[in-house]
Amino acid sequence: MLSVLLQIGWKKLWTLFFISVISFGVIRLAPGEPSQIDPLNPRFTPEVLERYRKAFDLDKPLYEQYRLFYWKLFTGELRSFKDSQPVLPKLVERMWNSLPLFIVGTILVWCYAFPLGVASAVRRNSFFDKITTVIVFALISVPGFYLAYLLIIFVVQTFHVDVIGLRTFGREGIGGFLNLMDRTWHVVLPSVLGATAGIAILSRYVRSQMLEVINSDYVRTARAKGLDEDTVLYKHALRNGLLPFVTMIALLIPGLVGGSVIIETIFAWPGIGRLGYEAILSRDYPIVISLNFFAATLTLLGTLLSDLLYMVVDPRIRLEKAE
Amino acid sequence: MRVKQTLILAPTLVSLFLLQSYFWVPTFEDQVKGDPGRLIRYIETSIGDASILNPTLAADSASAAINGLVFDGLIDRDLDLSFRGRLAESWDIFEEAYLVVDETQRLPDGSAVTADRLVRHLERARAAGNPALRLVEKIEIVPGGSRVEQIEVAAPGGTPSKPHKRKVQVTVHQPPRLKFTQREVDQDFFIKLNRLLGGYADRIDPTRFVEAVEPVVTPEKAAALVPPTEHNPVVLFQLRKGVLFHDGHEFDSRDVQFTYEVITVPENLSPRVPDFEPVKAVKPLGRYTVKIIYKRLFEPGFQSWGMGILPEHLLNRQRLSEEAIRLGRDPNNFSVRDSGFNRAPIGTGPFRFSEWKTDQYIRLTRFEDYWEGAPNLHQYLFRIIPDPLTAELTFYAGTSDAYGAQPHQVERLKDDPRFQSFSRLGLGYSYIGYNMRRPIFQDVRVRRALGMAINIQEIIDYVLYGQAERTTGPYPKQTDFYNPAVKSFPYDPEGALRLLAEAGWTRNADGWLEKDGQPLAFTLITNAGNEIRKAVMVVAQNAWRRLGIKVETLSMEWAVFINERVDKGDFDALILGWAMGLDADLYQIFHSSQTGHFQLNFVGYKNPRSDALMVRIRQEYNHERQVAMARDLHRLIAQDQPYTFLFVRKSVMLLDRKVVRMVRDGDDTPRYLPIVPDKLGGITFHFNQWLKTAQPVLTAN
Repeated sequence: MLSVLLQIGWKKLWTLFFISVISFGVIRLAPGEPSQIDPLNPRFTPEVLERYRKAFDLDKPLYEQYRLFYWKLFTGELRSFKDSQPVLPKLVERMWNSLPLFIVGTILVWCYAFPLGVASAVRRNSFFDKITTVIVFALISVPGFYLAYLLIIFVVQTFHVDVIGLRTFGREGIGGFLNLMDRTWHVVLPSVLGATAGIAILSRYVRSQMLEVINSDYVRTARAKGLDEDTVLYKHALRNGLLPFVTMIALLIPGLVGGSVIIETIFAWPGIGRLGYEAILSRDYPIVISLNFFAATLTLLGTLLSDLLYMVVDPRIRLEKAE
Repeated sequence: MRVKQTLILAPTLVSLFLLQSYFWVPTFEDQVKGDPGRLIRYIETSIGDASILNPTLAADSASAAINGLVFDGLIDRDLDLSFRGRLAESWDIFEEAYLVVDETQRLPDGSAVTADRLVRHLERARAAGNPALRLVEKIEIVPGGSRVEQIEVAAPGGTPSKPHKRKVQVTVHQPPRLKFTQREVDQDFFIKLNRLLGGYADRIDPTRFVEAVEPVVTPEKAAALVPPTEHNPVVLFQLRKGVLFHDGHEFDSRDVQFTYEVITVPENLSPRVPDFEPVKAVKPLGRYTVKIIYKRLFEPGFQSWGMGILPEHLLNRQRLSEEAIRLGRDPNNFSVRDSGFNRAPIGTGPFRFSEWKTDQYIRLTRFEDYWEGAPNLHQYLFRIIPDPLTAELTFYAGTSDAYGAQPHQVERLKDDPRFQSFSRLGLGYSYIGYNMRRPIFQDVRVRRALGMAINIQEIIDYVLYGQAERTTGPYPKQTDFYNPAVKSFPYDPEGALRLLAEAGWTRNADGWLEKDGQPLAFTLITNAGNEIRKAVMVVAQNAWRRLGIKVETLSMEWAVFINERVDKGDFDALILGWAMGLDADLYQIFHSSQTGHFQLNFVGYKNPRSDALMVRIRQEYNHERQVAMARDLHRLIAQDQPYTFLFVRKSVMLLDRKVVRMVRDGDDTPRYLPIVPDKLGGITFHFNQWLKTAQPVLTAN
């Protein structure tokens, strides 16, 4: 068992190495240079541009840049081109800001997707099923930013309250409970918007998964035993139907550093998605590469965790040593 | 059934919890009306956050907005764009000019040149009222001496783009020089003096004064080491006394010198280096006088002193070392750029920094001891809202007082009685540039015809909703340098065809223009992502095709556009824009020496008369003379049409109607005044007098 784990770990380490190379390389494949190096600024002489390139290590060969980059990243020396602030604390702060959106959004997705999916599956081809199908596909198709604008305009015009940012602007002083409620309110719209697509997609999965299970032999057996319909559906069918979703929990982890560019931009949310987006626009390599790297690493961790989880919930799956 | 109940209860409870939070949040009315403090708090929203709050290091407009309130420069621009003293009470611009004493030559009277004889000769001429020495106040002798210097020479190997260099040691035998102190800067001084001395300066051979082991010293290198003549313009600033930094420390000449030094330190990576490169030295003369000496004539350098002045006592070597040690970093490797000062700045400006939440807001509070009196507003908040629509909603709801409104938003809100609007013309212009290295564009008639074929007014009316004005040349229309006598081309496709026919382009059987069997065909390119440029591209293509020109269009990603096409001069025609400054210097954009790769005269414009004017303009310190030359240059460039000058965009600033200026009369009664735009259309000139009133106190306009 342990040796198998070690083997997996070793493989993942290799993957990590390739991830580090790709994260580093991908932004460098895009044309352009950091926005500080502005060739169209009439005041800039080639010497000034060269000075920037030197300070940003861009004058060195690529492999040297790669080595320096990760060395600086892990020693905490790495600084953003934009404001010379250390990258790690910056990422942590932004992650922390995005966290409430992520958590509330995830809770909403899982809370709504399951009842919806199960209900549509149980009442397959009923009016309810059809109407949810229409709504769900509408939600998947409507662009998030459009929905966001509609919702913001509606809420602002009807209820006259602030919905933008982490909290009501100008109320920084309030403490305790009021602050909590204020912040909760500001999470509502962006997380609902962030969750809509998730709810729509996940509920479809749940529906099809449930349908598959409902038509299986053991459900028929349960029914034949004379169990009442609720027990059959929610005890026997649902449990097995949920199996694949357990592993999805682990795959959520990379979402932690993903953030949502559009929602965060519209809601002036100082989250990690916005940081990454603005960094890409200004070719702030340290931020972009670190973000790529951490996102990829977390995905790696997520898949690993999901494999392990699957082992826990489904006894048929076991680790075996590769030849 | 527990599972079934959970499935229904969980979403219900979560939703209820989230929605009930609404009842604890104040409405906009509560916030605006119930809070008298809102009237002395000014909130502006911006789409981007500041990056570095240090005027010597910042290059972005958001940082500049904050730095402008926290720091003061020595000078700034008055309502009419002339210079006005801020931290400097007054200044004096004069010149120190140097002439090498060449003892191998003879004076016009036949005697051998010595420093004394030369001075006596010139003093006599001055006493006789010779016009060449009209501005000279003093002639002194600066003794010579020897020094050792390193020069860079070409080494074998390397490529033309990256030549190898090596350093060679040379001994410079600096001959004695005459130093002329002149009342005013006169770029023609040496020309006149040389005439008076019968070509004396032309005969000076600088290579004689440079001694090297190997024969590597070219005349150019020698002239750089021992210039036969040298103009040193000097600015003498008298500083304002009793000005305090926000921490109570008094501002003085040392701070000015220090600010300059911060820019010159390479580790600081200051984007202002090129602005201050012409400065030779900054010397404090006592606490309240600073002498700035320039290496050469460069008039646009003066405006750079509008840059904010840093506090030396907080950023000097010792303080930086202390900070580095506190942070556990290497003190020898810790520059001003690394200092926490850049995120909590201290200046002499009307507002002091108090808080910065990255990508959320920056809060400034007024500085009670500001030398011009504390501002009326107690707080300035710079709130970051990246999305234009949300910014508009915030403004509309009254929780912000100003935002960067886009043209279509202005249309929606400008007639709302709750807001006031100010139209302003931009400093930049858009143009179509023609690559004059291409044979088809070498004929000025072709370039003119192309311009005449485009209905620019139509572009302004329909693409820009009228939010632009035509322009005829390279200067901002608000400055004196813009030549109002230059008329724009009429829209005249017929005339364009006639011009093309004159140039030899005639229609063939298929209706396409051709000359000697060659069709008139080229590609017009621009960068992707700019909808207006894209629209202009389509309009131009359509107009030109109607004349019978085969025009292809292409838009490409910005970095590719710049790196692969513009920088390498690999294009036929392009649509771009320049953001202009307020100075008259166009050297980098239009001088024929700037046509190489990665230089900004990428259209390859060359005209010796324009070249001469551009050089003289940047060396001219007299505003009237500079204006006259700039207008000539404008006329020349408009005639040559290296670009089709399209338009200057207008922008409209929206502001809450309740924002007014409040000044106190002698008996302390408040008087309310409307906000007046400066000559550029900027409205913040009187920002320190701004205040919000509970009710509008001024009627429209």
